[in-house]
Amino acid sequence: MAKTVPLKRAIPDPPPPSITGLTASLRKPHESAECQLVALDPTVFHHPIRRDILHLCINHYRDSLRQGSANTRTRGEVRGSGRKIRPQKGSGRARLGDAQSPMLRGGGVAFGPKPRDFSTKLPRKVIQMGMRVALSSKVLEQNLGVMKTMDWPNGKTKYLSHKISSLGLKNTLFITGEDEVPTMLQRAIQNIPLVGVTTSREVNIHELLKWPRVMLDAKAVDFFEQSLGKPYACVDDTPVQEAISRL
Amino acid sequence: MASTASRSRISLANLSPARGSLHKQKRVGRGQGSNHGGTAGRGHNGQKSRSGAGIKPGFEGGQTPITKLFPKRGFVNQNERVWAPVNLERIQHWINLGRLSCSPEKPITARELLFSGCVHDIHDGIKVLGDGAEFLTSQIYITPSRASKSAIRAIEDRGGQVVCKYYNPLALQDCVKGRTDRITAAPTRRQDIMWYSKFQNRGFLSPDLLKKLGDAPFVEERWKLLSQQLGKWRKQEFDVEKKKK
Repeated sequence: MAKTVPLKRAIPDPPPPSITGLTASLRKPHESAECQLVALDPTVFHHPIRRDILHLCINHYRDSLRQGSANTRTRGEVRGSGRKIRPQKGSGRARLGDAQSPMLRGGGVAFGPKPRDFSTKLPRKVIQMGMRVALSSKVLEQNLGVMKTMDWPNGKTKYLSHKISSLGLKNTLFITGEDEVPTMLQRAIQNIPLVGVTTSREVNIHELLKWPRVMLDAKAVDFFEQSLGKPYACVDDTPVQEAISRL
Repeated sequence: MASTASRSRISLANLSPARGSLHKQKRVGRGQGSNHGGTAGRGHNGQKSRSGAGIKPGFEGGQTPITKLFPKRGFVNQNERVWAPVNLERIQHWINLGRLSCSPEKPITARELLFSGCVHDIHDGIKVLGDGAEFLTSQIYITPSRASKSAIRAIEDRGGQVVCKYYNPLALQDCVKGRTDRITAAPTRRQDIMWYSKFQNRGFLSPDLLKKLGDAPFVEERWKLLSQQLGKWRKQEFDVEKKKK
């Protein structure tokens, strides 16, 4: 059994997640020992890990990326006339029609690739489950952190890079819950290697799995809980009358 | 759930599909080892081994196909209506379980029956039938498209009320979806008008029924108006030209 080396961070590891209430803490090294805790929705951040669902979602995503522009010419598209190359009988050789047949050198391709759409369909709820599993796997590996807000006052890469290194947040994807990444933050962060930033609306499962560590905004946590959370984790207990009148 | 101690982090490098979820594609004509090489599952010579479209489906080599052997018969009635039957014992069972409830203000309609699972599909309307009338104990207020005579008798004996209402396909859809902004259409066909004007059917256009119900909560004002307008045939006479001597 291989012993895993925990990622080195200046922040102490958050407490292991409990089943009843998930918490993630982020403590800056220069702050006091008071822990700031965030309660996370267990239906989103403590979902059972399903690698096969992740596999489905990643394949679906990568299929959608394919350009699908491979093209070949068939015997109908190769330039040439339809003249019969040699008489049917008498030459002692095989019978041949036009010079573009796939049997011949310089002829068309039989059943070659044509531009097509490689994207596949996946049920919406499977994609949502994949996001839940991905976020839960990050929490389980203790690679998910929460910040109150994400912004940077000036657009200088130098200072942000120093701050990120001092916090030990390399190899991290920062996800903000705003509609757009703040311009100053975008400018400062875009040239820092091994660091990425995106919005919670645009993030996809591929990025969540690719980046070793993920940092969420408080707003991003709310976004994920709203869009992915289940109102009840167990069987629906409301009686049918109420359900009908609620329709 | 995989423990993080035994594996490295879940990343793009260690995902795999569920066991048994993927099946290898059948690729013919690719060698002996695949069991589908050589003739690629087509056998030797013959029409079926050639490329291009095969024979027309249903073709029997020239013999009169089974689809042509027997004569056509009859016609399909476009005006036919299929009623979704529901028996009284089923309604009573549903009420006992608490899946259905009714009151004079909220009578049972197609919507309640469908959503509670009493009826699985509404087809062209609901017809209440009288099987198991001895099990009916509660007072029911119900507005189906049709009701059988024994069902009407049983429901009224227990103190309930049946009013058969005309639903055209759009009205039925609106009833199920709970739309009240549209006015449900009146019956246009003579058969329907006659049927819904009869008291024995408890039709909503029957003047005897409307008089009996009076100001019951589930009676709509429009029914009285329609009953008058569509009941004019009772007093009308055809003018017979008198022969001039």
